[in-house]
Amino acid sequence: MATLVLDNGAYSAKIGFSQEKVRVIPNCQFRSKTSRLKTFTANQLDEIKDPSGLFYILPFQKGYLVNWDVQRKVWDHLFGKEMFKVDFTDTSVIITEPYFNFSSIQESMNEILFEEYQFQSVLRTNAGSLSAHHFFSSRPSELCCLLVDGGFSFTHIIPYCRSKKMKEGIRRVNVGGKLLTNHLKEIISYRQLHVMDETHVINQVKEDVCYVSQQFFKDMEISQMKGEENTVVRDYVLPDFSSIKKGFCKPREEMVFSGKYKTGEQILRLANERFAVPEMLFHPSDIGIQEMGIPEAIVHSIQSLPEEMHAHFFQNIVLTGGNILFPGFRERLEAELRALAPAHLPVSVLLPDNPICYPWEGGKLLADSPDYEEIVVTREDFEENGHFICEEKFDI
Amino acid sequence: MVLEKKSSARVEADSRRRVLDEATRQRRLSRQLEALEKDNFQDDPLSSLPPPGPTARLPTFSETEEPEKKKRKTRGDHFKQRFRKNFTTLLEEENLSDRAEPNYLSAEALPSSLPPRLFCCVCGFPSHYTCTTCGGRYCSSKCLLTHRETRCLKWTL
Repeated sequence: MATLVLDNGAYSAKIGFSQEKVRVIPNCQFRSKTSRLKTFTANQLDEIKDPSGLFYILPFQKGYLVNWDVQRKVWDHLFGKEMFKVDFTDTSVIITEPYFNFSSIQESMNEILFEEYQFQSVLRTNAGSLSAHHFFSSRPSELCCLLVDGGFSFTHIIPYCRSKKMKEGIRRVNVGGKLLTNHLKEIISYRQLHVMDETHVINQVKEDVCYVSQQFFKDMEISQMKGEENTVVRDYVLPDFSSIKKGFCKPREEMVFSGKYKTGEQILRLANERFAVPEMLFHPSDIGIQEMGIPEAIVHSIQSLPEEMHAHFFQNIVLTGGNILFPGFRERLEAELRALAPAHLPVSVLLPDNPICYPWEGGKLLADSPDYEEIVVTREDFEENGHFICEEKFDI
Repeated sequence: MVLEKKSSARVEADSRRRVLDEATRQRRLSRQLEALEKDNFQDDPLSSLPPPGPTARLPTFSETEEPEKKKRKTRGDHFKQRFRKNFTTLLEEENLSDRAEPNYLSAEALPSSLPPRLFCCVCGFPSHYTCTTCGGRYCSSKCLLTHRETRCLKWTL
């Protein structure tokens, strides 16, 4: 029997058979201005020639699956003949859900996977549990790890002691990739160019130019300087989707510091925006979200756990998810944690090679492990015992 | 002779200015934060068009297929009814305030113990001054002017 691993994120699905490679695919539908009658699903995004003013239809709200119509259309597409050609009569699925997923969503999930799609067996789990499995299989001598899962909707801090999730230590900071993109969109629209409709383009801008500052107020000073001295400022060439397919940063030597460009491209000038936007992860209160930043929340989480574990957690902090990919994130987090943690405890923050697919890789390892058959719920089990058996076996 | 007391022009101007109370300021802030949660700013480009597919009034002629079709349809409707709930409804249905911790609500990070950092709401640089009307921050008289024209009492983008 084949096993399909699906890390079902609020913005992108990481999907693939355990014997094959992973693919990262948008977990949503799109509508475009140019072909108005069509709705594009998941990776059909690539067919849209002009994705300006792209309209998103997302199955998730605040990180929880609520729009099942959309989710089923995306899954139909992913499982169907255009993509993974899943043979449901001979397939087991590992699927991820958010921490503290609502029980009604969990029940809907059971029904759709077993009754609608008719998978032979199912393992519903958290992305963090798969990451933890990945971490402990590559470092069998470690006892604990603390995951920082930076996603589209929020950032979670989850301590694991071996395969056990320490629920009392889970912390959620309500800052995710969506909020950062929307904030960048808002400040650019206010300060220079109206881009409120261009979520897709500005998300790319964010990924291309934003970084986490190591000395926040020093960078603020630099970004206020004029001319060549301002080493922070960048000019970003916006795509027009005819001659420029993808936006990019002007190389430093081609930048014009005073006056206009003669090339006629549309330019965004970004200075403090570059690092003030990811700064929300460290100080959500900067825009009025009354929550701790990630470093403070990590310390708060660890302090809520038994003291003899503290040393292990501070030494094994693992970053996963797409929202921690900002350059400088790991260094800044380590530096801030060093300042907050007790002086005698070593602090180490690990950035895996591919943080987005780290949980998926964990799922792959789990699917091939000998006791996989024991942790799943089979379709016969479900037909006989219903939701109860899933509640028993899955720790969401 | 009693000298008439000279009043300060600045004090007078201040007393004429409207000042937003704390509740309004909080409301504005939560509206801004809600806007940051939106998936799209623009309207659905399809919303103005009729739904795709044949219109409902068209009579169907294939009698043999009808019973089966009908059955499937009611099932789909049932599904939609059950699964069409938004986040707030689902959260309420969970009754989390009655449930044992840890849960979704208790997992939220607490307010920071660090003092807030203040930034100019126009240019984003560190700010030293507060707008007396709306409580927004600004860093220079230039930014204050922009702020008054664009965002102080109204909200333009």
